[in-house]
Amino acid sequence: MAPSRIPPRRPQVVLRAVTATAAAALVLSACTGGSGAAGAGDTSGNQLLTIPREDLATFTRNFNPLSPQAAPMTLQAVYEPLAVHSMADAKDTPWLATTWEQAKDGRSLTFTLREGVKWSDGQALTADDVVYTFELQKKVLGGFDYLDKVTAVDAHTVKFSFNKAFSTAFYEISGHYILPKHIWSKVKDPAKFTNPNPVGTGPYTQIEKFQSQSYELRKNPDYWQPAKQQIAGIQMLAFSGNDSANIAFTNGEVDWTQSFIPDIEKSFVAKDKKHNHYWFPATGAMINWQLNTTKAPFDDPAVRKALSMAVDRDQITKVAMNGYAEPADCTGLARTYDKWRDTSLAASCTWTKDDTDAAAKALDAAGYKESGGKRKLKNGKNFTLDISVGSASSDWISVANIIKQDLAKVGITATVKTPDWSAVSSSYNTGTFDTGIVWSNNGATPYEYFRGVMSTKMVQPVGKQATENYHRFGDKKADKLIDAFAAATSESAQRRQIDGLQELYNKDAPVVPLFTGPEWGAYTNARFTGWPTEENPYATLGNRNGSTILVLTSLKPVKG
Amino acid sequence: MRLILRNLGFYLLAFWASITLNFVLPRFMPGDPVSRMFAQAQGTMQPDQIAQLRKLFGLDNRPLWEQYVSYVKSVFTGDLGISITRFPTPVTDVIGSQIGWTLLLGGVALVVAAVLGNLLGIVAAWRRGGVLDSAFPPLLIFVGSFPYFWLAMGALYLFGVSLNWFPLRHAYDVGLTPGFNGEFLSNVGTHLVLPALTIVLVSIGGWMLGMRNTMIATAAEDYITMAEAKGLSPSRIMFRYAARNALLPSVTNFGMALGFVVGGALLTEVVFAYPGIGYQLLMAVQGLDYPLMQGIFLTITAAVLIANFLVDLVYVRLDPRVRVR
Repeated sequence: MAPSRIPPRRPQVVLRAVTATAAAALVLSACTGGSGAAGAGDTSGNQLLTIPREDLATFTRNFNPLSPQAAPMTLQAVYEPLAVHSMADAKDTPWLATTWEQAKDGRSLTFTLREGVKWSDGQALTADDVVYTFELQKKVLGGFDYLDKVTAVDAHTVKFSFNKAFSTAFYEISGHYILPKHIWSKVKDPAKFTNPNPVGTGPYTQIEKFQSQSYELRKNPDYWQPAKQQIAGIQMLAFSGNDSANIAFTNGEVDWTQSFIPDIEKSFVAKDKKHNHYWFPATGAMINWQLNTTKAPFDDPAVRKALSMAVDRDQITKVAMNGYAEPADCTGLARTYDKWRDTSLAASCTWTKDDTDAAAKALDAAGYKESGGKRKLKNGKNFTLDISVGSASSDWISVANIIKQDLAKVGITATVKTPDWSAVSSSYNTGTFDTGIVWSNNGATPYEYFRGVMSTKMVQPVGKQATENYHRFGDKKADKLIDAFAAATSESAQRRQIDGLQELYNKDAPVVPLFTGPEWGAYTNARFTGWPTEENPYATLGNRNGSTILVLTSLKPVKG
Repeated sequence: MRLILRNLGFYLLAFWASITLNFVLPRFMPGDPVSRMFAQAQGTMQPDQIAQLRKLFGLDNRPLWEQYVSYVKSVFTGDLGISITRFPTPVTDVIGSQIGWTLLLGGVALVVAAVLGNLLGIVAAWRRGGVLDSAFPPLLIFVGSFPYFWLAMGALYLFGVSLNWFPLRHAYDVGLTPGFNGEFLSNVGTHLVLPALTIVLVSIGGWMLGMRNTMIATAAEDYITMAEAKGLSPSRIMFRYAARNALLPSVTNFGMALGFVVGGALLTEVVFAYPGIGYQLLMAVQGLDYPLMQGIFLTITAAVLIANFLVDLVYVRLDPRVRVR
C-alpha cells in the first residue's frame, strides 16, 4: 500500500516544534516586566551617570587616545590635558598645569605642572610624561609642524620651543591629553595598541563590566582632586541611532545626551518639567553657504554678496533650525567669538541683511539682468545653481530649501541635491560642486576660521584633494594678517589682526555665512545636579568635547 | 554525485565572481575613508594629520591588480585586514563578535515565520473558504505591507514603552555577564521577542500564501481523491499526502532565506539597538571602511552560496525528478 512508503513521523515533529516554540514564547513573555529600566529612579547616592552613544551600535575595548576610534570617555574621563578650554565662556581652567608663560618673542611656551598628580597606578606625573606624549604624538600621528623641541626643564616644568612665533599653539598644546611614559614606552606598536586597561590621571579610569553594548568607568583611586569625584562612576550605553537613544532618554533611563531630539519641548521637557532640561548654546562653528569660487559667476564678490542678500537668515534659524541657531552677520564670526567681533562693522552690515530688492539691484548692477522672470548669466543662459547637502542632514536640507525659495524671488533657479554625505564631501574635496552648506573650523580663537575660509595656503586646484577651503578662495592680504595673528604675543596685537580680517571678510565675502551652529545637549537632574546652564555656563552640554571633564567633576548625585 | 560535483564547480565560479565584484565595487565609491573622517570631524582635526592617518590605516596606493592579488590571497587565508571605523580591531574580530546575534535573531525569526506560515497555509488550503482562509491572508498581507521601520517602532512603543512587557533594547540587560545559565539565557530570550516578532509579522504572510496556493493545487490531484476514497483520516491526508508534496517550493524558499539571514536585519537592529552585523555594515559603508565592508559582503555571499548548495543537496534527496537528466 502506498501510505507505508511515506516516512511516518515527520508532520508530528513539525507540529511539536511549533507548539514548543509557541510555549517558549509564552513562557518568555510571562517572565518579563520592568527589566527595561535599569538605573531609572536610583537615588541611592551610588547611581552611575548614564550616557548614551547614539552613533555606536557596539563598543570595542580600545582606550588608546592615539586611535581615532577610541572608546567614548577616553579623552574626557581617563586622560587629561594641561588646561581645559571651555567654548561656553571662553575661559581656560588650569588642569594638569597650574601656570603657563609665553616667551616675549612668541617662540616658546613654558608650563608648570601641578604638584602631587598621580597616575591611576600610583606613579607620579612628571615633566617627562609630557615630553614623551608629544614625541609619541608627532611620531605616530604627525601634526605640530611648528613644534621644534619639547624639553623637561625640571620635574615639573616643560618648555615647548617653536620654529616660528606661534601664539595659537597654546590651545593645541594645553588641550592635548597627556600619557604616562612608564606605560607607553613599553608598548611595541602604540598606533595599534588597544590599551584595554588604561592608566590615566583622569577622575574615572577603571574599566568595569566591559561588554559590546555597555561598560562602566569607575573612580580613579589616586585622583588629584578627590573632592570633585562625587559620582560613583559613568555608564556608557550603545545605541544604533537617534530614535532608540531618544526613547531611553525620554524614558528617564539615561542622564545626559547630546543626540538631536526633535521638538524637544514637547517630547522631552513636557514629560517631567521639574527635572528635564536642555541648553543649546550657540557655541558651534559658523555654518556657511559656500560658493565654488573657481566657477563663474561665483568668482565675483558682488554676486556672492547679492546672493547673500537674497537669503532670509531669520527664517532659516527659526524654521530650519527650530530657533536654536543665531543668524550670522558680515564679520563671519560665530557667537563663540563675540569678544573678537568688530561691533561697529557688524552694525553696519549690508550684505548679510535679507533684502530681496537690493539683491535684485545688486545682480543687475553686476551685469546679471532679469528677463522674462529668469535671471540671465552674461552668456545669455539662465542663472541656475545646485546646492549640495548630505542626505542624512535633514535640518541642513531645510536650510537649502529655504535658500532655494529665496533665490527664486530674484529669478535664480536653484536645485537642492541630496546624495549621501560621502558623495557630497567628495565633490567638496575635489572642487567639482556648485554650492553647498558647509561647516567651518571651530577653534578657541577666530584664527582657524579665517585660515579655513581665506588663506591662500589652504587653496588647492580643482581636482586635487582639499581638506578645508572647499570653495577655493584665497587672499594674500588675509595671509599676512593670519600669520601676524599667529606671531602676535599680546591680545591687543592679535585684536588688530582680527579686526583687519573682519574688514577683509566684509569686502571679499569669501563664503556666505548663515548661522552659528548650536551645540545640542540635554539632561535630567533627577539623579545628578550641577549641570552647566545658561546662568552658569562653565561648560557646554556636549559630552564629547574638551569641557566635558568640567561637567564630570562638577556633578553631584541626588540622594534619597 | 556527478551532479553535485558539477554544481560545486558552478558555485566556485560564482564565489570568484562575487569576491571580485566585492573588491571592485567599494573602490568605485566617491571619496576615501580618511578625508571622510576628516569631514565628519568638522574642523576638529588638523589637516596635516591626514597623511599620517593614511599611513596608520595602511591604505595602499599600489596598482589595482597588486591590491587584487593580495586581496584574493588574504580571503583564502582568512586575514580580512583591520577595520577603519573600529581601528585597530581586525575585521574578523568585528564580524565574529556580532554575527552570532544576527544569526540568532534572523534564524529564530525565520524558523518561526516559516513553520507557522506553512502550517497556517496548509490548514487554510484544507479548509478553503473558512475563517482562517478568508480572514488571515488579507490581514497578514496588510500587516506585511506596512513600512517595516514604522511597524517596529510601533511595536516598541506599544509593548516596550507603554505596556513595559519587553525590554526596549540590546541583546541582554546591561551589567549581566554572558554565560550558559538559566538567568542569562532567559534574559536573551526576552530581549529577542520583540525584534523577532516584528520580522515574523512582516514575513509570515508570504509563507502562508505560498503554501496555501501550492496546497490547493496539490489537493486537486487524483491521489488525494484516492486517499479520501480509501477512508483515511483527514489529518493524515492533509499532512502526509498533500502537505508533503506541497512543501517543495517552501524548502527552496527556506534555503534562500537562510542565506540572507547573515546579511542581518538592518532596520531591526537599528530600531531595537540589537548588536548585530547589519548596522555595522551601514556604518562601514558610511565610513568607507573598505576592509570591513568587504569582510561583511564576503560573509554574506559565502552564506548565500552555501545555503543554495545545501538546498540543492536536500532537493536531490526530496525530489527524485531532479536526479533524472
